[in-house]
Amino acid sequence: MLLETVGLTKHFGGLAAVHKVDMSIEQGQIVGLIGPNGAGKTTLINLISGFMRPTRGRIIFDGKDVTGRKPHLLSRMGMGRTFQITPLFGEFTTFKNLVASFYLSADRSLWGSIFNTPGYRKKEKDILNKVEENIELVGLGKVRDELAKNLPHGYQKVLDLAAALAISPKLLLLDEPIGGMSREEMDLALKAIKRVHANGTTILLVEHNVSIVMGLCDRIIVINYGEKIAEGTSDEIRQNEEVIRAYFGRGYAN
Amino acid sequence: MEKKYGKNFSIVGLIVLLFLGPLILESYYLHLAIMVFIYVMVASSLRTLYISGQLSLGHAAFMAIGAYTSAILARSLHWTPWCTIPMGGLASAAVAIGIGFPFSRLRAIYFSMASLFFGIMVESSAGLAPSLTGGFTGLHGIPRLFIFTRQPYYYFFLVLTLLVLLVLYRIEHSRIGMTFKGVSQSYLAASSRGINEGGIRILASAIGSFFAGIAGASYAHYAGFIAPPQFGVMTSILLVVYLIAGGKGHFAGPIIGTVILYLTPYVMGGFQGYAPFFQAGVLIAVIFLMPEGMISLPGQIASWLRVIRKGRRVSFDAS
Repeated sequence: MLLETVGLTKHFGGLAAVHKVDMSIEQGQIVGLIGPNGAGKTTLINLISGFMRPTRGRIIFDGKDVTGRKPHLLSRMGMGRTFQITPLFGEFTTFKNLVASFYLSADRSLWGSIFNTPGYRKKEKDILNKVEENIELVGLGKVRDELAKNLPHGYQKVLDLAAALAISPKLLLLDEPIGGMSREEMDLALKAIKRVHANGTTILLVEHNVSIVMGLCDRIIVINYGEKIAEGTSDEIRQNEEVIRAYFGRGYAN
Repeated sequence: MEKKYGKNFSIVGLIVLLFLGPLILESYYLHLAIMVFIYVMVASSLRTLYISGQLSLGHAAFMAIGAYTSAILARSLHWTPWCTIPMGGLASAAVAIGIGFPFSRLRAIYFSMASLFFGIMVESSAGLAPSLTGGFTGLHGIPRLFIFTRQPYYYFFLVLTLLVLLVLYRIEHSRIGMTFKGVSQSYLAASSRGINEGGIRILASAIGSFFAGIAGASYAHYAGFIAPPQFGVMTSILLVVYLIAGGKGHFAGPIIGTVILYLTPYVMGGFQGYAPFFQAGVLIAVIFLMPEGMISLPGQIASWLRVIRKGRRVSFDAS
């Protein structure tokens, strides 16, 4: 088990944004997290990646209890994530954004920086090679030298995904990776996600677009009002009355 | 590529000229040059904090900590300044790390406010314990580095400044420098790539404060006299002005800003009293006309000339 949450709960004042969620993700899976607006999907991602502290409950990642750990420590353990609003370095090109992300996650020594030691230079070369590999992997080759702020929305999201690969994540949390994209951008993003998954990265993705999630994921978790209401393969979810009720209202469930 | 060689060439040329300086300059101008060297070091060290997203309004306090530490050690314990100057820098860095734990949790304007009050606090506390610090009237009789003329000081500060700039440049253009910039551009992206945001801020602050402390300490052993107002809020704010007016986006920005703005009052002769107005005017002009700072002036002039020569519309298309 790569990730497991036990009774995960987050209260904002009196409101329970996430309530007693138990879920687990196995190595190599691609799991979808769906639910209506305001169901608590992003809060759940924030809890798992350490950007928020849970009120109650435990998070077990890679065999260790990581409840309440800071985001940078989690990401050093191999927890990668992207954001709904992509935090890019706007004034850098695609290429330089990735270099920056790889720099950020590479080891650094003050000594090596000042004296430009051979070890430091070798690392530098490794980083540039890895960046080239990643650009090809996610299919951003043709916008390699465009400034990030000038990229179309969808490309920015794919760039954020590529940047998240800098820490060589074991688990990648994708927060609405295809939200608000055009058809062409969506194809690019989906292809990138599939390739990253095929490379052995376990993925948990939050998405509004249910049909895309159904086509992409091994397993789907549905939450509503902060609680898990269903879990299973896409066929099981499609027939689950609780889910139909949550999405379409009481009248549609038979 | 050719352009880059040209740039390196002119930097080397400038350094050679600086080394020849004492052959032609009078003692008074050597003093001005030394003061410029000191403030170049401090303004550049302020930039190290700035690129990590911390615009300090109390950076002169770290000069003070370095200066007082070194001066008191050399005066009371009779240690040689060569030994106490580095200790002044280390003391500054230690204080920066100490206050960094609460301060690094503050972002943007909140950090600036906290650093402003820290600067005021250090200035006031330098006036306490008069037997040790000399109180508000200052500390006299600090052992000098060299006894004779200003020339050895000039070479000492020239070499020191070049060394400090080289180290700061290497740091800024390394992976560490990249983490500084990453944290300031997007702490979300940085912390999801394994960067300890607070830790990186503290590191930047420690590096910047170390060199400010070194500069302050060596100033103390040059002037032989230090007093709290020299390292007060006004000095801190002037440092920020040097940085912004010179060009905060470029390594050379604070250097150019310091050289021009520090020297202007001295070339104004009888109008020296109006220097603050002039400096304020320069700052406003820079902000409105060239947001990238004075360092972008050559490029700006070129683009203005294009506008004049070809008319507004053509240059509009070009941009």
